Amino acid sequence: MAGPLEGVRIVEMGQLIAIPSAMKWMADMGAQVIRLESVQRLESYRTDSLYHNDVDGEFWNRGANFYEQNRNKLGLTLDLSRDEGRAVLRDLIAVADVFAENFTPRVIRNFGLEYEDLRKIRPDIIMVSSTGYGFNGPWANFGATGPATEGAAGLAYITGYRDGGPVMSEIPFTDYTAGEHTVAAVMLALMHRLNTGQGQFIDVSQTQTCSATIPEALLDWTVNGRVPERIGNEDPAMSPHGCYPCAGDDRWIAIAVDSDEAWLGLCRVMGRADWAADERYADVLSRIRHRAELDKMLGFETRNRDNHELMARLQAEGVAAGAVVDSEDLLFNEHLQERRFYEIVAHNDATGMPPLPYAGRPWKLSDTPAVPPQPAPIMGQHNRDILAGLLGRTDDEIAALEEAQVIGFAPLSPRGVRRPSLDEQVRQGRMQRYETDYAERVAQWFGTDR
Amino acid sequence: MGLEWLPNSFGGLILNNGALAGVKVIDLTHHIAGPYATKLLADFGADVLKIERPGGDPGRRLPPFYHDEPGAETSLPFLYLNTNKRSITLNLKSETGRAILMDLLADADAVVENFAPRVMPALGLDADTLRKRNPKLVVASVSNFGQTGPWRDFRATEIVEYALGGLMYIFGAYDREPLKHALHQAQFKAGTNLASGTLMALYHQRLTGQGQRVDVSIQESIASALRDVTNNYTYTGAVRRRQPNHTGDLTRLRAVSDGYVLPNPGMGATLDWKVLVDFLEAPDLDDERFDNASARLENAEALGDILDQIFATKQKQEIFYAAHQKRFIYGVIDSPEETVDNPQIQARGYYVPVHHPDLGEIMFPGAPFLMSGSPWAVTDAAPRLGEHTRAVLGEMGYSTQELAWLRASEVI
Repeated sequence: MAGPLEGVRIVEMGQLIAIPSAMKWMADMGAQVIRLESVQRLESYRTDSLYHNDVDGEFWNRGANFYEQNRNKLGLTLDLSRDEGRAVLRDLIAVADVFAENFTPRVIRNFGLEYEDLRKIRPDIIMVSSTGYGFNGPWANFGATGPATEGAAGLAYITGYRDGGPVMSEIPFTDYTAGEHTVAAVMLALMHRLNTGQGQFIDVSQTQTCSATIPEALLDWTVNGRVPERIGNEDPAMSPHGCYPCAGDDRWIAIAVDSDEAWLGLCRVMGRADWAADERYADVLSRIRHRAELDKMLGFETRNRDNHELMARLQAEGVAAGAVVDSEDLLFNEHLQERRFYEIVAHNDATGMPPLPYAGRPWKLSDTPAVPPQPAPIMGQHNRDILAGLLGRTDDEIAALEEAQVIGFAPLSPRGVRRPSLDEQVRQGRMQRYETDYAERVAQWFGTDR
Repeated sequence: MGLEWLPNSFGGLILNNGALAGVKVIDLTHHIAGPYATKLLADFGADVLKIERPGGDPGRRLPPFYHDEPGAETSLPFLYLNTNKRSITLNLKSETGRAILMDLLADADAVVENFAPRVMPALGLDADTLRKRNPKLVVASVSNFGQTGPWRDFRATEIVEYALGGLMYIFGAYDREPLKHALHQAQFKAGTNLASGTLMALYHQRLTGQGQRVDVSIQESIASALRDVTNNYTYTGAVRRRQPNHTGDLTRLRAVSDGYVLPNPGMGATLDWKVLVDFLEAPDLDDERFDNASARLENAEALGDILDQIFATKQKQEIFYAAHQKRFIYGVIDSPEETVDNPQIQARGYYVPVHHPDLGEIMFPGAPFLMSGSPWAVTDAAPRLGEHTRAVLGEMGYSTQELAWLRASEVI
């Protein structure tokens, strides 16, 4: 058996990350996921981050983010603002186990897709709504992005350098926090349905999922009335603990000294027997007292060393240390390679794209690992399979839907985002650098050139 | 299976209508990642038996503490991470301790652990052995780098996971050292994923009667949630980095007069530039250098300077609510204090009182998600160290005399 979720059918009205990432992981594990989109309203993940930065032709089938979030799904275009489109969706709900969406409640109500509507069609349906702030309450209809909920949940406020303002990651971090919790939530609902035969409504608030992961700060407020200060990379219980410069351009190493043994190991690797002998650094409390001074001294010692070599030497001495890996390091990584972390996905011939590696899953199941990877659908790729094969629509009916542009195979008003040249992106500081032989190196490392 | 009546800590009976009613989990986890996974299972109805080393889960020493009084029963993160669990102490280094564990595993659905990968096999508790004794058992692990691979035995803490997972390099100021999030996001992320992986295996178990091995890596938990970091390279050869302040990005965090906001005038192609210019009352932006996405990327620095000046004159709540009237999806940066007081979070009833027998009532972050048919519930506060040792071993048939002997020989 390829995946534990074989036989589970999910209809996904998702966009961007929060729901698509969760349903991708469930599709990886064998669920049949039917991803809805429309030719009227093109998702921005189909218009940006394009293969070779090429906006010509059918660029909407070459978007990196769309491929990243929609692996192993079937694609159906459907205009839900029309009665005929909603009729198809109702027929899909009738044969679905799960309906997953991440639009605002306003949109869901306008389309008549609330849980009470769906259970009239399919009494044991599981519906999962994923929103920024929750399906009810005064902010329910406020749209949100990952950074907005990272802010509302309290995480962004407490993150940042000691002397600066809030800092957040360069990716929609909490979209994934919500997505990860959504997988757990849908699995819980599937377990409950096995036990009782009943479906239910799941209301995921991205803000709440994020707040659930920072109890230290929230309880410090509710119990002790204290708001934690921003402390950068410091850890209150360890020193040295931070990110230190290494040889090369924008190269760094993270080091966390969590015991006296680790401290002595660090001193050995750095060739600083004098530090090891210095009473001021003999135990963790005194090292914490001298944190600023130690950080400066250590950074001075690391600055001419190669970060990967230093990591290997520190690890050999039992010191928790990690090179701060960039995307190239992360991709061409012997550990992840041996664990077969990346999924090699062959793309539809029409795209002209070679097979490429994509990040896999955070779990490995020994007996039911995953299905063989299929790429995200090109637009409308499975319209016919779903309408004829699953719903029994006739050729005439399908032709009528296409004629009326309820379904389609290309966006009605395509407009891709052309990014500036790579030289300009590097000049602006958006990119660290670029390589010209990347395609060959990727093909060679992942064996897709053979 | 299904609904069941259970005794609660106040001597009454409660109806367990959680999704995992009847699922029995043996919890060998400690610190954060593992306990968060089993908390998710326990808060949705699973029967989670936490097995602590005689000195207790090191997570009991995590700050901050209740009223800043350090102690084995006052760590606030520990109290949060271990709701609805029972605790027994057991020394797994002793043969008798392991024998008791094997008895407990005989009718368990899952065992969850987060030791370093070499520990369980060294104790003779490798997954194959456990599964042979109980074929339906799900053996679920979370570790820094997974159960296999050349980095398996590398040591790591939160910051090392940020570095090797690929998130740190793109996190922080352009011209400073890379940064990590505050607190323990990598641990919580991996814990959530461990819950999901375990649930998938439990689902399969319910259908087939077969257990299996679940291997979650904290590094891979970070690396699987980076959107286009590696894809930028595989699609164009470009290596992403921490961004400068001026990137042409209209959604970047901006300082306002009384805090910080996250502007967002709409997604992608749906943006009407004139509407944005009017909204910000910023005629300087009414310029063809900025009126489409490609042009904004070309003129990013000039755009950034103008936006900084405009936002410095705005106020946080005012611009947030004004923006949402126009369906611009702005966000606010709230402190822990502000987020607890937030009208939306209050209307949702997110913070819930949890009664602790010694500490009284504590307001906890509540349900991460709401389930209408099998709701989240905290019915029991986190257990005191070994609180249920006597009861659990008593149920297994150990006499008072045997318990005294086990205690004297430092098994419990």
